[in-house]
Amino acid sequence: MATIHDEIDNWLAADIHGELSEDERGALHTHLVECAACRKAHHENKVMNKILEETLAHEKPDPTFEQRMLSGFRSRIPQRGGLVKLLVELMRLRAVQITAVAALLLALVQVGRLITGEGAAVPRNYPRLDREEYAAQSGRVQQGVADELAVVRKSEAQRDKDIAAAKTRSGFAAEAPQPAMPPATPQQPEVQPEFVEEKASERMEAAAESAGNVPAPGGVPTANRKLIRNAEVELEIVSFDATVQKITAFANEERGYVATSSSEKQANGKLRGQVIVKVLPENLDHFLKKVRTLGELKNQTLGTEDITKAYFDTDARLKNARVMEQRLIEMLKTKTGKVADLLQVEKELGRVREQIEKMQGELKYWDSQVQFATVTISLSEKDMEEPAAFLLKERAQLALYAPDVEKIYNDIKGLASPKVQITNAQLDRDYSGRVSARVSMLIAPEESASVIDRVKGFGRVENFQVQTERIAQGGSGMSENAKTKRDKVELNVTISREEQEQAFQQTSLRIRTSSVDEKAKELRNLTEKQNGRVRSSSFSRNPDGREVANVSLRVSMKNYSALMQSLNALGKVEDISVQRQDSTGAQIDEANAPADISIQVYSQGNIVSSEIGLFATLRRTLAQSASAIMWSFRMIGVAVAYLAPWAIALVAVTWIIKRVLRARQSKTQ
Amino acid sequence: MDANEREQYRAAIHGDREAFEMIIRTHSRTLFAIAYGILQNCEEAEDVVQDALVKAWKTRWRVRDPEKFPAWLATIARHRAHDIFRKRRTVPLSATIDQVIEPGSAAEPNGSELDQQLRSALAALPELHRAALTLRYFEEMDYRSIESILGLSNGALRGILGRALASMRKQLRPALASLD
Repeated sequence: MATIHDEIDNWLAADIHGELSEDERGALHTHLVECAACRKAHHENKVMNKILEETLAHEKPDPTFEQRMLSGFRSRIPQRGGLVKLLVELMRLRAVQITAVAALLLALVQVGRLITGEGAAVPRNYPRLDREEYAAQSGRVQQGVADELAVVRKSEAQRDKDIAAAKTRSGFAAEAPQPAMPPATPQQPEVQPEFVEEKASERMEAAAESAGNVPAPGGVPTANRKLIRNAEVELEIVSFDATVQKITAFANEERGYVATSSSEKQANGKLRGQVIVKVLPENLDHFLKKVRTLGELKNQTLGTEDITKAYFDTDARLKNARVMEQRLIEMLKTKTGKVADLLQVEKELGRVREQIEKMQGELKYWDSQVQFATVTISLSEKDMEEPAAFLLKERAQLALYAPDVEKIYNDIKGLASPKVQITNAQLDRDYSGRVSARVSMLIAPEESASVIDRVKGFGRVENFQVQTERIAQGGSGMSENAKTKRDKVELNVTISREEQEQAFQQTSLRIRTSSVDEKAKELRNLTEKQNGRVRSSSFSRNPDGREVANVSLRVSMKNYSALMQSLNALGKVEDISVQRQDSTGAQIDEANAPADISIQVYSQGNIVSSEIGLFATLRRTLAQSASAIMWSFRMIGVAVAYLAPWAIALVAVTWIIKRVLRARQSKTQ
Repeated sequence: MDANEREQYRAAIHGDREAFEMIIRTHSRTLFAIAYGILQNCEEAEDVVQDALVKAWKTRWRVRDPEKFPAWLATIARHRAHDIFRKRRTVPLSATIDQVIEPGSAAEPNGSELDQQLRSALAALPELHRAALTLRYFEEMDYRSIESILGLSNGALRGILGRALASMRKQLRPALASLD
């Protein structure tokens, strides 16, 4: 242990500063009495302490020091204004701090969402692409609509222009040499349009005439042009033969001839036919005018085909081919070269000759077409469409319900005789035991009533339909003197078992009870008591303890009310709804008609399911919130990852700038 | 440290200006003592205190524990004073001192020599020792407070002051002898 002497400096300092305890001071003084060196040091220390105190007392700050510091501080950091101060005060509150942090996190989440482009906390499955596509599509659709509109507008504009042009052409241009001539008097405009119209139609006719007379408009010399002219005329005439005679006469007059003539006799004795006449092109219009007088003109077509270019092309090619032919012949005549070459020449010659023939034929055909104009006259006698006779066709349909389908099916088949012919008979039995049959037959008209009655007697008739059709033969429409004939009656019968029959009345109801299974059994017993049949029955128990039994049964109408009465014993009967389809006209055996009743026997659930209980809800909520939090974390992470580099860069730049500024400052100092 | 003081520091850290001004009133002398100890110049020391206060206000949010607020303030002042001291080092020490102490030396020519010797003895001490000395002689603070404000361990101050006084005593021994 260090002695006082060793650490005398510390002890002395503490002594003058009054930091020694009583014991320590005692010990020190004892040592000082013993040790002269320490005593000396003690003395020196005391003196120096005094000097120090005196000297430093001068340097102590004056009493206004604090005030100076305060005012200096205030001038360097000015007091903030109202709003900023308020904000600063607010920020001092814990609640505000928490809110600010929450807002920051939320903002980060939003930033993350923005960056990732994800939907909401619970990720939805619909892809964004769909929406974009939809937008694009709607854009496209709008574009399409706009285009269409533009087209419509354009076409409207075009139409307006056309109308204006037509007006100019037909009316004003013809009538008024100066198009801008205003109507002279107010009455005139009312008169003018008619006048103009008349003039216009006249003009058009004249134009048509002139077009007919001059086959090649445009002032091109006709001689050099090869034009095929043809016309088609459709006429309705009184007598076919007389007309054909007249046409032949006209053709002769116009230096033409009848090329072909065909006729066809209709069922009602009327004739229809076609006459093809060839006339000289220049006489065509004259001829047509004459033909038109023969009957009522239904249709007329005039056509001109300009084949000039094709004709002369072919002509030129023909000439070339002929030259080629000559050359080849020359080659054969000289007979030089190898046999193979000669054979090749021979082959080529054949090809060229074939071409020449083909082109010659073509030119010949065109020549004939150009030489004569073709007029096709279609003739039909008046009242062509009048029917020759009528046929009464009767079709009957019958639906039968019977307990034994097969027996009835065979009975109906037994009716077959020369006057009752069965065209189709079919018996269907499917895997579930359902049996149905279909029979189609043709019955002679005189037997029909009795046969149908017999068939009806085989079972319960559910549906009977008769359709009569009057069919015109050899034409359409009405005819006063046509005969009417009854055709064979067609009968289609469908036979089904009774239970497939549609119920006359349908009832549905619910029965509430506590013991579902038991009551459902009781219900089946009740049904049997009333001669009913249970068609289907099911029982189910839900996880929440609800029991449901569905029973569907059928009774005849006469037992219906008794059964309904007995149902009240089973439990509380609810929601009764009755549906009945009354078809007028159909004779139904109402007492025996079936009635369907579908009953739901059910109980209230008495156990709360784990899926909707408090804990399940809590669990689901927690799971959802956990996933939402995880999602939020992810978003915050994304946002931070996105923003952090920028923040770091910003801080780095600020730091560097500060350093540079500080360095400069210290340099200038 | 009582609860009242603690609350004051906490408020100041959270931006309560009034609390901070109160701290300026109570602590600026301590800071001055530290600064003076290092710089041995009143004007410079005052500037250091002023700067330290401003800087403390601006960076007050860095303090986590309100109890450490005074020590933190002292640290700022020490660093600031140290910075200024370092910059000054290029200037000859004696010249500055001559300039500063001129008014005092004129008043008492006899004492001035001793005074100057005392000052050079002080200047030869390490910064920390000087700061501890001025805290003791200006503010008459007990050892415990000085230790806490300078961030020293318990009992370390006795050694520091002992050594400081001893070293001064050795330097001043001739002057002291003549004084007797």
